Amino acid sequence: MTDSPSESDVAVAANGAADGTPTTDVATFAQEMAELVGATAWSADHGVARLAVERDGWVAAAVKVRDHGLPFFSWLSAVDWAREVAVGDPVEAPEDLEERFEVICRLSSVHNADAVHLVVDVPKDDPVMPSLTGEFGGAEWHEREAAEMFGIDFSGNPNAGRHLYLPDSFEGHPLLKSYPLLSREVKPWPGTVDVENMPSTENAEAAAQEAAQADEAVEGEDE
Amino acid sequence: MTQLDPRAAMHLSDAAVSVELETPEMTLNIGPQHPSTHGVLRLVAQVDGERVSSVDPVIGYMHRGYEKLAEVRTYAQTTALVNRIDWVSGFANEIPFVGAVEKLMGLEVPERAQYIRMILTEMARISSHLVFMSSYPLELGAATPLMHALREREHVLELLESVTGGRFHPNFNRVGGVKPVAGGGSNMKKQSQDLPAGFLAATDKAMTNVLDVCDDLDKLVTGNELFQARTVGVGVIPAEKALEYGMSGPNARASGVKFDLRKAEALLPYDGIDFEVPVGHNGDCFDRYVVRNDEIRQAASIIRQAIAKLPSGPLQAKVPRILKVPKGEVYVRAENPKGEMGYYIISEGGRLPYRVKIRSASFSNLSILPWVLEGELVPDLVAIMGSLDFVLGDVDR
Repeated sequence: MTDSPSESDVAVAANGAADGTPTTDVATFAQEMAELVGATAWSADHGVARLAVERDGWVAAAVKVRDHGLPFFSWLSAVDWAREVAVGDPVEAPEDLEERFEVICRLSSVHNADAVHLVVDVPKDDPVMPSLTGEFGGAEWHEREAAEMFGIDFSGNPNAGRHLYLPDSFEGHPLLKSYPLLSREVKPWPGTVDVENMPSTENAEAAAQEAAQADEAVEGEDE
Repeated sequence: MTQLDPRAAMHLSDAAVSVELETPEMTLNIGPQHPSTHGVLRLVAQVDGERVSSVDPVIGYMHRGYEKLAEVRTYAQTTALVNRIDWVSGFANEIPFVGAVEKLMGLEVPERAQYIRMILTEMARISSHLVFMSSYPLELGAATPLMHALREREHVLELLESVTGGRFHPNFNRVGGVKPVAGGGSNMKKQSQDLPAGFLAATDKAMTNVLDVCDDLDKLVTGNELFQARTVGVGVIPAEKALEYGMSGPNARASGVKFDLRKAEALLPYDGIDFEVPVGHNGDCFDRYVVRNDEIRQAASIIRQAIAKLPSGPLQAKVPRILKVPKGEVYVRAENPKGEMGYYIISEGGRLPYRVKIRSASFSNLSILPWVLEGELVPDLVAIMGSLDFVLGDVDR
């Protein structure tokens, strides 16, 4: 259960190109792509080629990846890495975390399972990104969504500043970790009466231990 | 009898606007509504006479904030949410989500559970495409096909319900397998809810009827001159544009992109199944319709083969009662009836995900609307919009 699945996953993903196109394993592919776009770092965990690029080279990297046989603009989004969270679980080690946004863009092939995640770190005090809309028409909505949800400016997006989902008068950026979930503030989650204790209750750890013991007891019965 | 080639014939609606008239630019507000009520969409169109000069879709009426909600729910609770994203094919939405969690946990799903997932996913595909088969001709003024298509869809939904308990929102998948016996208690832990008695025979019969209705639709709609006049050569999307906008599924395949995640990156055991990937050539409304009709036939064939090969064995992998997902990030996608549906999950090692990004097919498929509608005729607006087969729940999430 707790074994790292990354090794076997790399093998699965490499075999995943089932339409006859030979694909090297994901790590080799990620390294090749990292050299192509001049990535500062790369990884291939869980079968995903993840390339860290500089903000200035964002558009150029995406164009290089596209022209290298990954023309499918799958999605673009962001992650708010924050030490403190208003709802949900915090990161494992908040004190070591560098607070930042990560903007991620996924481009993939339409012949095999090859895909690349381009990742760029965006400082929270300067949340500006160059827009991909000049090269990918589909980026417009994805960027507008990331903009309203995280407060990142995509300069060059033709509809920058206009809300996509949220009402025009809406204030705030709901997917920020500092943004509370009002329904939880007003009323505790009714799921607490469920078998599982719910997140943010103090006895979650105790309940987990209890359940683990119960599991063991059941396994004992079975055998 | 001479056969008319509809592609060579002059487009009927073109003839109606050949007279040059001075027309002022006008703003036409359409909605908020959906012609076949798959949610709520509003279009603000600038029209010059009968020509659309630009369209600005206004979305978000169905936005439920699932990405935020997923951050405060356990993985097991989120499976109940995700089948509400594209409710026309609820079952298919659950597959990539549980697949992503299983990948992070390194779980091996028992084969029988995988086959049951595959059978029910294809049923969801048939039911989703039959909704398109009924609503699309209706949007163009043909009411009869709706009766034929929805009748068979109802039978497919009954089968889905007999297994999962829900027509639209099965919530049948569990991390590591499929739903356990209702009220089973601890001594039933190793058993799971299996297929009900008579399910396999009933499915086989339903597939015969589904294939029949595909033929009926061919006679009623595909060869229909009026239908072809409204769809052939209308709303052409070239393959490069489709990819640039992230268009996937039958819409992209109609533009000649021969790519299907069931072949390229199958989450379920599709490699043991023999099936074709239908593709179009022209990328027009007509091809988008034909590709879906052919996909129903392929799905019926997949279901029959899967039933013939259905292995016996357990339905659930051994999973702890409280799921703790190892730290890591993963993106898992599957071929939803609408296209590529995927979940990007970041886990920090706890019971709740740190971030869930939902990649839904209809969002990208709809985002091409301003590009494809520019310069088209107002009457073609509905024909093009309907041919993209989007569900607003899948757009807004």
